[in-house]
Amino acid sequence: MGANDASNIFGTAVGTKMLRFSVAALIASIFITLGSVISGQNTADTLNTLGSINALPAAFAVSLSSALAVFLMLKSGISVSISQAIVGGIVGWNLYTDNPTDMTALTKICSSWVICPIISGIIAVCLYLGLKKLLHYNKMHILWQDWIVRIGMILTTALGGYALGANNMANVVGVFIDSCIFTPIKLGNFYTLSSVQVLFLLGGIAASVGVFTYSKRAIKNVGKNLLAFSPIVAWIVILSQSLVLIMFSSSSFAAFLTSLHLPPLPAVPVSSTQAVLGAIVGIGLAKGGKGIKWNLVLKLMSGWVTSPLIALVLSYITLSFMENVFRQTIIIP
Amino acid sequence: MFNLKISLFARTRELEHLIDRQHDKIIEMAMMFKDAIDIYLKEKRSESYRQTSKKIKTIEQESDRIRRDIERRLYEQNLIPDMRGSILQLVENLDKVVNLFDEVAHKFYIERPDIPEKYHNQLKKLVREVSDCAENMAISSRAFFRDLVTLRDYSKKVYLLEHQSDKTSAQLRNDVFDSDLELAQKIQINTFVEEVADIADLAEDCIDALLIFAIKREI
Repeated sequence: MGANDASNIFGTAVGTKMLRFSVAALIASIFITLGSVISGQNTADTLNTLGSINALPAAFAVSLSSALAVFLMLKSGISVSISQAIVGGIVGWNLYTDNPTDMTALTKICSSWVICPIISGIIAVCLYLGLKKLLHYNKMHILWQDWIVRIGMILTTALGGYALGANNMANVVGVFIDSCIFTPIKLGNFYTLSSVQVLFLLGGIAASVGVFTYSKRAIKNVGKNLLAFSPIVAWIVILSQSLVLIMFSSSSFAAFLTSLHLPPLPAVPVSSTQAVLGAIVGIGLAKGGKGIKWNLVLKLMSGWVTSPLIALVLSYITLSFMENVFRQTIIIP
Repeated sequence: MFNLKISLFARTRELEHLIDRQHDKIIEMAMMFKDAIDIYLKEKRSESYRQTSKKIKTIEQESDRIRRDIERRLYEQNLIPDMRGSILQLVENLDKVVNLFDEVAHKFYIERPDIPEKYHNQLKKLVREVSDCAENMAISSRAFFRDLVTLRDYSKKVYLLEHQSDKTSAQLRNDVFDSDLELAQKIQINTFVEEVADIADLAEDCIDALLIFAIKREI
């Protein structure tokens, strides 16, 4: 997460030399950690509705098989997300332990995979067309545009980092919540971090290490996708992705949608890479639809089905190994 | 952090002024060149022509200084990284036009060509078209930084003026070679006419590159 997903957020800014790597990495790390600790639990709650894994060995097995599923899919060239694999992993645990799967939660989560890139695309198109009109009427000097995009990229790196921490950290540490062994930490007299928040803090720190150690290399891959665009378009893509991640993590945004009699967006971990791709396709369509590689989009959609299925099978097998070979507890009744 | 932002703001404003001044120099040069040729045709290498030629040299030197300053600032301050290469090339191209104006004016001063009066109007027409072409190129290039629609409008004018100047220079050279002048004089006038017309060709080349940069600039 710290290496790949974080590089989606600030990779373009660094790749286009708009921001220095050290500045971008520092901002992203701080905000990923803040996002995880402050808002990370919302999405984890939804995952726990699907299945509360209460034994540490089982949580480890599910986590490992989800990561393996993602690794296998990436090897075959399909961009998938741990967000999807983890769902397959949890359902695998449900099946292995004869725990009933909450179908409403499952439907909610699966629909979010489809809705996420669509919403990201819609936001990107609105921002793109709005900004294009604004620049046409405003006639701003190219140097000032550069200045504003630079500041925009700093702010988006912060927003994107927070959004990533808030939305995606549940993928990394969510399955460990019910088997959490941490004790609450008092921060002076003002605030106490709950044990789950401490778990999320640990996740945030781990992601920050990933940002500083591996993301520089991952930026080269981001370059292939995003550096072909102008910095303004790249900024729109990252902003859309960040806004979508916030929408799928925020309970107050869900309440706002309900107040407008609209269906609320569930607080679930969604894929930041797919949000980026949704935004790119959206802008591609707004530009006339030329140059969009539809076979890549279809490959991406196939990942929605195959990655949770592979994770489910792997999770079932790993849990069986854990219980029968290593004699570990898989469920605490 | 606040100081950093303020200084970035001030540096951006300074660079914006420099780029504007570079364009002002081309317009200034085009006007001065028109005056210089008028004076030359009237008075040949007079004191007045020498003064005008000196002013042209000063504009050329200032333009060189501004170009170097823009290039240095763009790299040192790491501004507009995605368009920096294009802007550097654009600034170089603008400076080449200014240099060519200076070269031609200086050549008139050194070689003192004898241009019979019957060709004066045609040559003045050519100089007017070439200078207008360079002026419109400067307006177009200035618009590149702010407004791509204006850039396209003025680019069209540059193409039309360049085409017109080609026709005028061809007619003038044809008339010169049809005349009873000495071959050496014919060749000398022909060379001068070609060099004046080259300014419009160079302005056209700048616009060709500029339109490519504009495609890169579109969001």
